[in-house]
Amino acid sequence: MRADPGTATPALSVVHEMRLTWRYASGTAMERFLAGLAERRIEALRCGGCGRRYLPPRPFCGRCRLRLSDWVPVRDEGTLDAWTVVHLPIVDARTGEPRPVPYGMGLIRLDGADTTLNHYLAEADPDRLAIGLRVRAVWREELRGALDDILHFEVVP
Amino acid sequence: MILEGSVRLPFRYAAGTTASTFLEALRDEGRLLGSRCPACGTVLCPPRLDCRCGERATELVEVGPAGTLVSWTELPGRGAYGLVRPDGADTAFVHRLLDAPESLRGGMRVHARFAEERSGGIADLAGFEVAS
Amino acid sequence: MRRVAVVGTGQTRHAKAREDVSQPELVREAARAALEDAGIGPAEIDAVVLSNMELFEGRALPELWAGEGAFAAGKPCLKVATGGTSGTSACIAGFHLAASGLFDVVLVAGFEKHSEGHTQTGMALTDPFWDRAVASGAVGNFALSISQLQAERGITEEQAALVAVKARRNAARNPHAHLQMAELTVDEVLDSRMLAHPVRMLDMCPQSDGACAIVVASDEPARRLCPRPAWVRAAVTRHEQPYLGDVDRRLLTMRTLRDAARAAYDAAGIREPLRELDVAEIYEPVTYAELAWYEALGLCEEGEAGRLIEDGVTAMDGELPVNPSGGVLSTNPVGASGVIRVAEAALQIHGRGGERQVEGASTALATGYGVYAWSDVVVLQAEAA
Ligand SMILES: [Zn+2]
Ligand SMILES: [Zn+2]
Repeated sequence: MRADPGTATPALSVVHEMRLTWRYASGTAMERFLAGLAERRIEALRCGGCGRRYLPPRPFCGRCRLRLSDWVPVRDEGTLDAWTVVHLPIVDARTGEPRPVPYGMGLIRLDGADTTLNHYLAEADPDRLAIGLRVRAVWREELRGALDDILHFEVVP
Repeated sequence: MILEGSVRLPFRYAAGTTASTFLEALRDEGRLLGSRCPACGTVLCPPRLDCRCGERATELVEVGPAGTLVSWTELPGRGAYGLVRPDGADTAFVHRLLDAPESLRGGMRVHARFAEERSGGIADLAGFEVAS
Repeated sequence: MRRVAVVGTGQTRHAKAREDVSQPELVREAARAALEDAGIGPAEIDAVVLSNMELFEGRALPELWAGEGAFAAGKPCLKVATGGTSGTSACIAGFHLAASGLFDVVLVAGFEKHSEGHTQTGMALTDPFWDRAVASGAVGNFALSISQLQAERGITEEQAALVAVKARRNAARNPHAHLQMAELTVDEVLDSRMLAHPVRMLDMCPQSDGACAIVVASDEPARRLCPRPAWVRAAVTRHEQPYLGDVDRRLLTMRTLRDAARAAYDAAGIREPLRELDVAEIYEPVTYAELAWYEALGLCEEGEAGRLIEDGVTAMDGELPVNPSGGVLSTNPVGASGVIRVAEAALQIHGRGGERQVEGASTALATGYGVYAWSDVVVLQAEAA
């Protein structure tokens, strides 16, 4: 008897579902940022070397390799730096369920920050989106201290 | 602050032609197959397409169902597991041992016992029991 | 350091699902082909470097199984995983091992079997605090940057579609390629399903099952094993800050690729890449990225990328054929894709490219791209130095 790949009957397979669970520690910088969100307060960390204001705040500047500790206030309104409208259902890693499509996504430079924030847009019509548009945060009613306390950003009329 | 969560990841692994042929013979005929290397003569069980020497071991030969217990251990609450080398094979594979752990010794003769209901997986081989 | 060269390449048939082989068997298919191409046996390999993204197959210790496929038993073996750059980084690690003098002949093998897992969910397991709550996926992340590419460089959907057509038509002449579409037209690309504005289905790479391997040898064995070794003239890798919003105009600036390319050209003595390179195998997961890479690699001035594709400069019969293999757009087993870039570049110098051979190719470029964070650039040449 012989078994040459590609010549025999369809191969058998093993089906398996893995459940991955995790428990991540935020670290102090992120903890302060997330606690601020629960009070509708957005803060960035400013680098003492290059002056860049990081949002989301990180403990380090990847350019100067300095530790950051200078908190600066950021508004919940800013400028759209990049955008797309997603039509391919993307799995939400937190639920395993795909998010209903279409939905808008943007890179948003909030007033007072130098880096951009990746977040959802309320607008999902490509003809109504453009780089440079002013957008503002739409907050969840019950704040929980998580990035999705901001539901999405809407275009400022 | 701690963020907890979980996600389900689905997988579907292809056994490949060689392992599929082994699993089909196990399921349909209650036979164990090994793959024989034409270059060095090694008989691999479970069969693999590729021999360590670099050649393709595409010839399948029947091995067992009797064999030799190479080594064994007891997993608390799960019974005994061992490395069994089926007669005619040069390699041993890990499987369940169906006898009481205190009755096992390395070098013992054992015999394959096949499951009553078989579905095309390694569990179609219920395990090995001490030859009577 | 010793000079090193690629002296053999091998790859599997790449497909949506390779159910006829298990993971180690898939790797062995490529490894055996590479050894045959180099004319050596497994005993002549001194060390093995592997590349694979294990979350995609959900398998602990993939190096144990892929290592079996790559003849690693009894030899030194390590694995590299850096997203899309895994394969090029593994090749660079292989170059370093052979150049160091510790090993004479190194086998590099990469594989992925996307059909066995759920790539999209695997990709979604990014930063738990910043990314998981706002998921746009790999396509969405590209699309964000592409809006800037369109706004600032005027890149059109038609120009992107030309890249898709070039890739899949080239792939039709590559017997290993996954998507072979000899008759693909721009209209078909523009009519394909929208994934994330403006990226359509045919703008994106597929998910493939496949493996690729190369044999790397130091100076003396390289000359003995290969009539025309592909000498490594430069091998550079660059890292980046992690968060998507950290780097302005990521696809446009692509600092890691610009820096790596500049360093590689300096090392290889290349001043005018468009003129001096004979062939390029670049890692373009999406059509628009290829156009952005033209600029980052110094093949054209800012804003000229669209013209390059329209004028056929990077076509098979153009001044610099880019991706005669069909590229990542036609074949993408992630852990293997970077190895494929280096293998295809080496294949061109070996003169073993068959129907996809660029005649007389003697200087070849290979690049890797990993999750907008890494870039690798490799220059291979027929002349040792
Ligand atoms: Zn700084
Ligand atoms: Zn053998």
